[in-house]
Amino acid sequence: MTIDSPLVERRRKPRPDTWLPDFCSLPVLFALLIVAELVVLVILLAPHRAGAPALQRVFVASVYVQWLAVCCAFCLCRLRPAIARLPVARGVAMAYASVVAIVALGSALVYWIDHATGMDLTVPADNALRFVGGSTLIAALVAAAAFRYFYVQAQWQRGVQAHARAQVAALQARIRPHFLFNSMNTIASLIRTRPQDAERAVEDLGELFRATLRGGEGASTLAAEIELVEHYLAIERLRFGERLGVAWRIDGLPRELAVPPLLLQPLVENAVLHGIQPLAEGGSILIEGTVEAGSVRIMVRNPRPARPPPLARGNRSAIDNIRQRLFYHYGSAGRLELEEGAGYYAATLTIPRA
Amino acid sequence: MRLLIADDEPLARERLRALIGELGGIEVAGEAADGREVLTQCATLQPDCVLLDIAMPVMDGLEAARHLTGFDPPPAVIFCTAYDEHALAAFEASAVDYVVKPVRRERLSAALERARRFTGEQYRAVGERLGAVPQRTHICARLRGNLKLVPVADVAYFLAEDKYVAVRHAGGEVLVEESLKALEDEFGERFVRIHRNCLVATDRLSGLRRTPDGRMFADVRDAPEPLEVSRRNLPALRRLVKSL
Repeated sequence: MTIDSPLVERRRKPRPDTWLPDFCSLPVLFALLIVAELVVLVILLAPHRAGAPALQRVFVASVYVQWLAVCCAFCLCRLRPAIARLPVARGVAMAYASVVAIVALGSALVYWIDHATGMDLTVPADNALRFVGGSTLIAALVAAAAFRYFYVQAQWQRGVQAHARAQVAALQARIRPHFLFNSMNTIASLIRTRPQDAERAVEDLGELFRATLRGGEGASTLAAEIELVEHYLAIERLRFGERLGVAWRIDGLPRELAVPPLLLQPLVENAVLHGIQPLAEGGSILIEGTVEAGSVRIMVRNPRPARPPPLARGNRSAIDNIRQRLFYHYGSAGRLELEEGAGYYAATLTIPRA
Repeated sequence: MRLLIADDEPLARERLRALIGELGGIEVAGEAADGREVLTQCATLQPDCVLLDIAMPVMDGLEAARHLTGFDPPPAVIFCTAYDEHALAAFEASAVDYVVKPVRRERLSAALERARRFTGEQYRAVGERLGAVPQRTHICARLRGNLKLVPVADVAYFLAEDKYVAVRHAGGEVLVEESLKALEDEFGERFVRIHRNCLVATDRLSGLRRTPDGRMFADVRDAPEPLEVSRRNLPALRRLVKSL
């Protein structure tokens, strides 16, 4: 599965989770040297009074810039653990300052050696400020661009990882072995006595698993989600018989509203699992939709046993998963609120209308 | 062999009944839809074997099985579960068999064959395993053939008398053959020891009072009269009453 790869990557190579790439690793170092060389070529190819750059100039400038780049890489590699511990803003400042300082000192050193040995490879004497200042300024600009790039890439990677984790969690939360095997047992029972009901139950189970295996991906509509809940309740009604009552009050809901899939059905499943199953006499689940100015609210309310039995410990993973996906789609405008009252439990979804 | 089928889903019971009918030689004595019904049915019908679903309302199958170990003679128990790896692991090596849903006829037949050879001796080993099961939700009193189930949440106090423990609850009093120490170990978070012979539900404690002769008594809701507090348990009880 492709969604696994970022997680596998992380497991294989444990490292502090930081925006700054590891400059000790060969691929990063190689990329840095390429970028440094490109900077050299850009500078030398710029229209210049001196005419076309001589090969010797390219060579000398490359050695100089590559040397500075290696120095910076070495320094950033060493500083990386410390930077990883700092808050992002201070980490960026520290990394940036160290790069600028290294280039300033390095260029000053090169200028001094050049003139002390009389090789005259850099710039004519008395131009120290131009040489050191120019080098430092170019490094500062390139480093700013590079750090911005690193930061954005780290953010993007973090987003991808969070998304992958949410998907894995969704699959795990959705595959409830109890439900699967109990449903198959029900179907096995129906095949003998009521083959047509058995057929319907297989179809309903098929719809449910199709939706589950999509793992909450893609887009759906409120109408499709309500239909999915109906498929699910049809199966549970076979299992629980008269113990399971359902009241729908959803007349005003905009059925064509686009919503992420699998937000509503897990809430109804929780209501059955924690509200109906523990009660010997059963009870009724209320599904109520209200339309407000900018949003749609859907409440799933179930009766609750006075003393929840030890087996029916709340399974929060479905709730966490729904909240994650609401946030992913709607930011803070999508909410899931839970309310525990005397003898009842209510979960309310708030979905903004685009 | 006489059999009791226990499952909260009518269709699951229906299927077991049909499978057992096909196997032949077994009489279905009755059906139960939750753990309490299992115990009352077992007390009246005295089946040789119970096909027991684990996830049931009011009282789950594991707790029902635990109460059944106290029956004389105990019925053989075959657990029947959709998916409960923890429970299965606990019973894999025990004398009790289990079947998983959807139940296969051959598997059920093998389990019933084992149940036929079941002896009370084997059940004691099972009882020990079931000791690790989470707290009971009910106290099961079976004195002189009458079965009485009291929800632990309804119990006001346990009072040790001679070889029995009196269980006082909202609806009266029953006697059980259990030790106060074992009850304290199991329900320690709900009950507090106020005397060598008495455990009181903390949510029923309403106050402490001193009599003119210097003895301390605790007022307990649903108790016919105040219960004496021993000198040794008094300081801890004072702190508890203050914090209530």
